[in-house]
Amino acid sequence: MGSSNKKKKEKKKDFQKAKLKVGKAKAKAANFTDTSFKAKSISVNQQAILSEGIDAVDQFKQNLSLAVTSKSDNQRRDALAYLTNQISATPPNNPVGTSAILTKLLPLISDTSATVRTKLLALFRALPPAEVQPNVEKILMYVRGGMAHMSNIIRTDALSIMEWLLEVAGDEVVSCPGGWLKTLNSFTSMLGWNPSLVSALSNQGWTSSSKPTLDARKRGSEAQVKQIQVLTQFLVAGFKPETPERHNPRAYWDNIYRLPGTPSPFAHLNLFGTPRDEDSEMYPDRPLRQRVFDAKWRGAIAAGVEGAKKEGGNVGRAAASLNRVLNDGTGDGILLPAR
Amino acid sequence: MPKRKVAALEKVEADLVNLQYKIRRDPKSYAQEFYDQWLAYDAQRQIFISSPTTASSDDVKKFHDLVDLVAHVADLYPEITTPYPDHLKDLLNRHHATLDKELREKIVGSLTLLRRKDVIDSTNLLTTLFPILISTPSKTLRSLLYTKIISDLRESNSKSTNHRLNRTIQTVLHNLVTSDRTSTKGMWATRITRELWRRQIWTDAKPCDVMKEACLSDNEKVVVGGVRFFLGGDKAREEMEDDSSDDEIDMKKLKHQSGINKKTKKRQKALEKAVDKVKRQERKKNAPHPLNFSALHLIHDPQGFAEKLFQKHLQNKKNRFTLENRLLILQLVTRLVGLHKLTIISLYSWFAQYLTPKQASVTSFLASLAQGTHNLVPPDAIEPLIVKIANEFVSEAAASEVAAAGINAIREVAIRQPLCMNDTLLQDLVMYQKSKDKGVVMAAKGLQSLYREVYPELLQKKFRGKAASMGLKSGEVKQWKFGEEEAGGIEGIELLEKYKEEQKEKKKAEKVGEDGEAKDDDEDDDGFNSDEWEVGSSDSDDSSTGWINVGDSEDDEPAPKRAKTDSEAPGLVDADKENAEVEANRISKLATTTILTPADLLKLQELRREANIDKAMGNTSKRKKELIARHIDEGVTADDIELPAQLGKKSTKEERVALAKDGKPGREEHKSTQAIRKSKKEAEGKSTTNKEKARKKNFLMTIGKARAKNKRSLQDTKKALKAHIARSKSGGRRANGT
Repeated sequence: MGSSNKKKKEKKKDFQKAKLKVGKAKAKAANFTDTSFKAKSISVNQQAILSEGIDAVDQFKQNLSLAVTSKSDNQRRDALAYLTNQISATPPNNPVGTSAILTKLLPLISDTSATVRTKLLALFRALPPAEVQPNVEKILMYVRGGMAHMSNIIRTDALSIMEWLLEVAGDEVVSCPGGWLKTLNSFTSMLGWNPSLVSALSNQGWTSSSKPTLDARKRGSEAQVKQIQVLTQFLVAGFKPETPERHNPRAYWDNIYRLPGTPSPFAHLNLFGTPRDEDSEMYPDRPLRQRVFDAKWRGAIAAGVEGAKKEGGNVGRAAASLNRVLNDGTGDGILLPAR
Repeated sequence: MPKRKVAALEKVEADLVNLQYKIRRDPKSYAQEFYDQWLAYDAQRQIFISSPTTASSDDVKKFHDLVDLVAHVADLYPEITTPYPDHLKDLLNRHHATLDKELREKIVGSLTLLRRKDVIDSTNLLTTLFPILISTPSKTLRSLLYTKIISDLRESNSKSTNHRLNRTIQTVLHNLVTSDRTSTKGMWATRITRELWRRQIWTDAKPCDVMKEACLSDNEKVVVGGVRFFLGGDKAREEMEDDSSDDEIDMKKLKHQSGINKKTKKRQKALEKAVDKVKRQERKKNAPHPLNFSALHLIHDPQGFAEKLFQKHLQNKKNRFTLENRLLILQLVTRLVGLHKLTIISLYSWFAQYLTPKQASVTSFLASLAQGTHNLVPPDAIEPLIVKIANEFVSEAAASEVAAAGINAIREVAIRQPLCMNDTLLQDLVMYQKSKDKGVVMAAKGLQSLYREVYPELLQKKFRGKAASMGLKSGEVKQWKFGEEEAGGIEGIELLEKYKEEQKEKKKAEKVGEDGEAKDDDEDDDGFNSDEWEVGSSDSDDSSTGWINVGDSEDDEPAPKRAKTDSEAPGLVDADKENAEVEANRISKLATTTILTPADLLKLQELRREANIDKAMGNTSKRKKELIARHIDEGVTADDIELPAQLGKKSTKEERVALAKDGKPGREEHKSTQAIRKSKKEAEGKSTTNKEKARKKNFLMTIGKARAKNKRSLQDTKKALKAHIARSKSGGRRANGT
């Protein structure tokens, strides 16, 4: 009874006329919109649907931003496909430059959608290698981040990016700051051969704890094969004998008076950056790389390879080739300076 | 190839929270996963550092999550995460101004988390946070850091005082205040010190030193912070203590609830916690009160401090502080002068320019003057001020409030230094008791009664009053000279002496009664009865000295009789006086010749209390002394000066209404008392009483019973009524009362 009364009253309220009172402002209507404010600009949180009226540059930029910010997988994928088309066209249409594209798209390495990641790799492959080389340090950071991702699939895809990077800029990868030791660290951690981890695990007691999650069953032998293969490529790039440069009679004067042709030619001096530790240091030439490799990683990786060889199959085959590189790279007859 | 099963953590959407949970449960098995995340963190950190200002929101979010994960499990993998705290500190130090807000908060939170997990120590944390607190432009970050710093200091001092840490931080604060005296950065030093003082975490002289330096700063805000600390810090501390004891738990209610409500582990735990808390509170209550000195007493070199403060902020004509703040500083200076009996002669001449009725908040100046006077101030220094007050404030032409305030101010000064007055002026002022205004009358009478006690010779004979004139005649009222101090002693020691004598007499008499011979009590003479050292044995049987005090103290003898003897035979009086002196000398020796046992002290306290009750009946001079003591502890306020002016005034209707409404429940609309009570009950979450329920019960439901009742026989009715009475006596059907 009470509730129906209440309802009746409420219903009535809608039709009651508001009383006007002298000296009081008129009551605002229910659909009143406040227009008293002023704004210099309005940002609209929607994309334009029309694509005709926009010129090519704007469309490129729009797709670039869509590829990163869009919530929908498909939209991201399509945007990437568009970008790839534009870049690989003849002549290539790239109004923002490779560096800007990389800066924007690198976070997509650990994107959740598999199609987006494959499209991303395709886009990267379309980029001109010469323009990728100066950005290697940055790309490597993201690749290392991807290689440490929790999801196995993303790790594998990050390895594909690594493969591409080694193809287009192998020298830069192994010689940029942190490129040698940090990347090796990531590789060994992926494969479960990391000595620092082992020491952290078995620091007490005399029993050796079992290697819990490192075996191939969990990681998948397929993935492990790929990991070993890419590591092999990486080491090959690192141990590649340097071809001596042809004698350039003007090199001396170029050095003194000409502007250098490469970006940041004095990077190894690290004049303006923060002081680097051992891991993030640059190892620009082969003997240096070999020396730190021998000191820090040879034992761990060799032990890991031994283990992997015993598994046989694809993994064993990959490990055997890695072993070959290990022996070739360091046993090629070049004498290392005395330690 | 068959599709491989994907483990939960390997899924693309696997979250770090889940991983964190697993790592914490089984750190060894998940070391590999953690190491991966550590590498991811490292990579993400480098990405971030390479361009901290332009990092995309996605990267920032990822970094944020990884920082969170590593912070939570850092204590499980100490070898791997060794550089982690340094990373965070470095990030915060370099980029705190440009960091994303959430990330910044996360980094600060992670650092404190590491502190809680004992990965880093407090000094490390605080020396990181403190410089940022001072330098950051962000208000939110400042407040966050402030709370973190305070809570960490509290935490590290909770079990036992961490002297090393406190010393470090106090030194940092001290340096902060002294390094740059013009900057507002000292504000943080004062805020932190004040808060920790309030919470009784810092109670020693070092924080007072920090505040002292703050008072001598050049920045107005810092100075006011320091001054307010000295004026109100101790009161805040006491209030804090009172507050903490307020939130008491109703144990009975909780037990009752636990008996009725569903029994769950959670409720059980809550109950146990409450019991624990109550026990802790009890223990705290019974614990001996910590001896906390007030900040004003802990100042090192108060004379130098007060002088500097006065010269720098008050005497200096170039000082541009607001009047309000200058008044605060003046209050502190005069408070120090009064409390420590300091001598700053120039202070009094400085006062002269402010003692006119037109001066803004002149009552505060008057109160400060009174506060800054003590018995060691030369009367010459104050006399001109008193004359000035009298001339400016007290005249027939002045408004009654002004006159009352003036006389009262003079009285407050005279309480502390009675020699500041000459007789003509006093005569004038006392004559104001013939005024028409009640406030003025009361003030003048107050002055008169003060001088009756402290310096009756200055009053005209007709104003001296009976007690004072007789005291003068008998020589009992003694005129103190400038600089003369009352000989100190233990208050009430003569009462103890007397009591002991009585006890001894009683015992002797008893012994005589029992044995027929007075036993020598030489064996007790040394006074080291073992049971006397126990406070519990308050009925200590015997006095410990061989001193025999025959006479009573002079206060107790009737004065008129003495007066008579005085007038009759001067020689005899002299002898009497000598006698009294000897007596006084003797009495004071009780404390010097024997060691007072705890039992003695307890008795002394008791006797003192009794004596005080006696004195409250008649003797007013004690009351005056107490008044002075109160002022020394609390200082004089402008209200004290203004008070008598309010005496004669009638309150307005609004004031009366406000007074009547005070403390009564709010009544926004017109409502019955019942309705208010009911809504109050509902707000407290209580239901109706059984009586109310019975009253509201539907008539049709009760009618059957009512009819049946009507048909009862007389016997049955009687039985029912009797049972009702019995039941109500035993507390209802459920016997709630028993």
